[in-house]
Amino acid sequence: MKIKNIIITFVSALAILFSTSVVSLAKVVGDKIILGAAISLTGKYSSNGVHTQNGYNMAVDRINSMGGVKVGGKTYMFDIIYYDDESNPKRAAQLAERLISQDGVEFMLGPYSSGLTKAIAPVTEKYGVPMVEANGASRSLFTKGYKYLFAVLAPANLYLDVAIRTAVELNGGKGVRIAQAFEQDAFSQDVRLGILDAAKETGSKIIIDDKLPKELNDMAATLAKVKATKPDVLVVSGHTKGALTAIRQIAEMKVDVPMLAMTHCDAAKLSKQHGANSQYALCASQWHKTLTYKDDFFTDGMTYDADFTKEFGYAPPYQAAESSAALLVFKDAFERAGSFDQKKVRDALAATNMQTFYGNIKFAEGGQNVDKPMVLFQVMCDDAGKCENKVVAPLKWASAELIHPIPKWSDR
Amino acid sequence: MNKNIILYAAILIFGIAAPFVFPAFKVQLSILCILIILAITWNVQGGEMGYNTFGNILFYGLGMYLCASVQVGMFFPLAEWTEGGGEKTFVHTPAQFFQGFAVGLAVAAVVPAIVAGLIGYSILGLRGHYFAICTLGLGVAAGEISGGIEIIGAGQGFTTPPFPKVGSLEARGEFFYFCSFAVLVFTFLAVKAIYSTRFKLVLNAIRDNEDKAEAMGIQTMKYKIIGWMISAFFCGLAGGIMGGLVGYIDSTDVAFDGREMGVFMVLMAILGGKGTLWGPVIGATVFHIFKEGFWTFFLGWQYVALGVLIVVIVIYFPEGIMGWLREKYPERFGEVVDEADRKAQVELK
Repeated sequence: MKIKNIIITFVSALAILFSTSVVSLAKVVGDKIILGAAISLTGKYSSNGVHTQNGYNMAVDRINSMGGVKVGGKTYMFDIIYYDDESNPKRAAQLAERLISQDGVEFMLGPYSSGLTKAIAPVTEKYGVPMVEANGASRSLFTKGYKYLFAVLAPANLYLDVAIRTAVELNGGKGVRIAQAFEQDAFSQDVRLGILDAAKETGSKIIIDDKLPKELNDMAATLAKVKATKPDVLVVSGHTKGALTAIRQIAEMKVDVPMLAMTHCDAAKLSKQHGANSQYALCASQWHKTLTYKDDFFTDGMTYDADFTKEFGYAPPYQAAESSAALLVFKDAFERAGSFDQKKVRDALAATNMQTFYGNIKFAEGGQNVDKPMVLFQVMCDDAGKCENKVVAPLKWASAELIHPIPKWSDR
Repeated sequence: MNKNIILYAAILIFGIAAPFVFPAFKVQLSILCILIILAITWNVQGGEMGYNTFGNILFYGLGMYLCASVQVGMFFPLAEWTEGGGEKTFVHTPAQFFQGFAVGLAVAAVVPAIVAGLIGYSILGLRGHYFAICTLGLGVAAGEISGGIEIIGAGQGFTTPPFPKVGSLEARGEFFYFCSFAVLVFTFLAVKAIYSTRFKLVLNAIRDNEDKAEAMGIQTMKYKIIGWMISAFFCGLAGGIMGGLVGYIDSTDVAFDGREMGVFMVLMAILGGKGTLWGPVIGATVFHIFKEGFWTFFLGWQYVALGVLIVVIVIYFPEGIMGWLREKYPERFGEVVDEADRKAQVELK
């Protein structure tokens, strides 16, 4: 019966392992404020996860080098503990639990994507840990009555609302025929709900309403239908892969559609990867470098763009910019709260009313940012094939005029 | 026999004390229990019966959705709960939460078992690779289909009812830990009891030579179906608890998570040694500890490290940990080995 002994040894080894691996860090150690974040470093959201992480790091370095956070007459520096959530909600929830109960983190930064934020929010809420998130836009996050969740971005249903309204306006106020294809995930489905609302209000008709699988890499069936039915607007949303797939296959299949509205164009580096093929795509964005917002840390959008490019070697998509803004919000709240008491910090966060390079930030009851509109940009290329994203709506910030309708492939 | 009782008592005490001794690890411990349940139930097919199924994830996911749906649906309109962008907030009272969860778990166990019976009747006729591929498809299909059903949240996912405000902050973790531990004990004892009957011998006969077993007058189909129903019953329970524990159900990433949970349950059983009672338990524990360790120490490389572990298992422990021990110390497993026999074997090698 030696096998039983082995098992007993094993169980005790397990016990020792568990007890020695408890490393408890307090939220504030010495002059460090330690924030926790579960980020998608691997899996289907890995590219956006990295944008998020770079945005956080950029802001941490900047705030620290410019004097840190002053709370109660003492100066503190930011530090972040990262874990990889593997783009999986189950893991994200587990990691949030781990950050809070094992690492002792008392303030959290959000993950990438609505789905993962949905998985983490119940945990932070349970422990009363304030979380400022920059990448969970699904409207359903803000209707659950969460008290400790704050999002610096505009909710997902507003993403392409402007595009539909613009199309209707260009159509002489008459409703348009919309074809849409969305990935089956929390964010894209919420963008879809926004389109449904806009369509209802403008009297537009939805003629194709497809759901696409996650890890989107083929939507030829949808595009074949689009070719046959000739809608006025084609809407596609499916994170970075969705944007890349759509452009690739639209170009391959030479699909002619007067307006192509999408999300995640800049995160997917569309203009760089697909060049002239991505021309005329209309993209929803939380931020664009040409917007005229200002703050003391990053000066303005153009400076942020230049600094970020210097540091990380690519132009910042809005996912990075909003992530940086989350840190600015935390800094502001800590200083106004004058304490590290979670309740006080939470109340300070709720009272946030500030401008950052990324936009104005003011939270509604549900935690969403209500003071920052979405912008639409269009990919525009010159004759040499160099492409750029130019803001076309709202008019206040427009740096170029919307090109509509998109020229036919035979004329391009 | 005495030693056995001491061992079981020790494990039971450890299990009950664990969340208080390691309060920070409650979630990991709960997940460990779930993983062990999945490994044990997979072993019924993969180990004892020789049917490598990738389809058990179907029952796990089904249990998860059913438990959450019942828990919500008993008290509130389910469609409004899961409606994307729904403005209404429903709050379960503690009594509603626990009643709903209990009924939900019962449904999460029974329905998957029935489904296993129905599906099993049609596909357990397949053998070998054909069966494996077919069951692989089951999980994938279930994930895609459930991602399109509006009433369970479709692509938006399903937020399970938040734990009511009872007791301390730790109450939620303790509740789910004890649920999963209780189900683990139940599963282990049930499977152990089953393995001590003729039923196990029949399963082994099917594994060793199904045609011969049939020729001996065993109704193999009947046994295969019953075996699968038993697995489905416990997988469903595990899924139901996991749904509540995670708090958010996504069709392909949490519920019908074939490429993670679905593969892990196979790996764990093989690592521990398939076709043994303790193998899956040991395999799941070792696997979970390694996984958590890699996760902490090899951030970004955890899957590479896990891959190396799998390669090592396949090369050095093809029969799993239990199989390796058995080969090395056969006497301790109650096997009588003739000294001359062993010598002959060594010479052969």
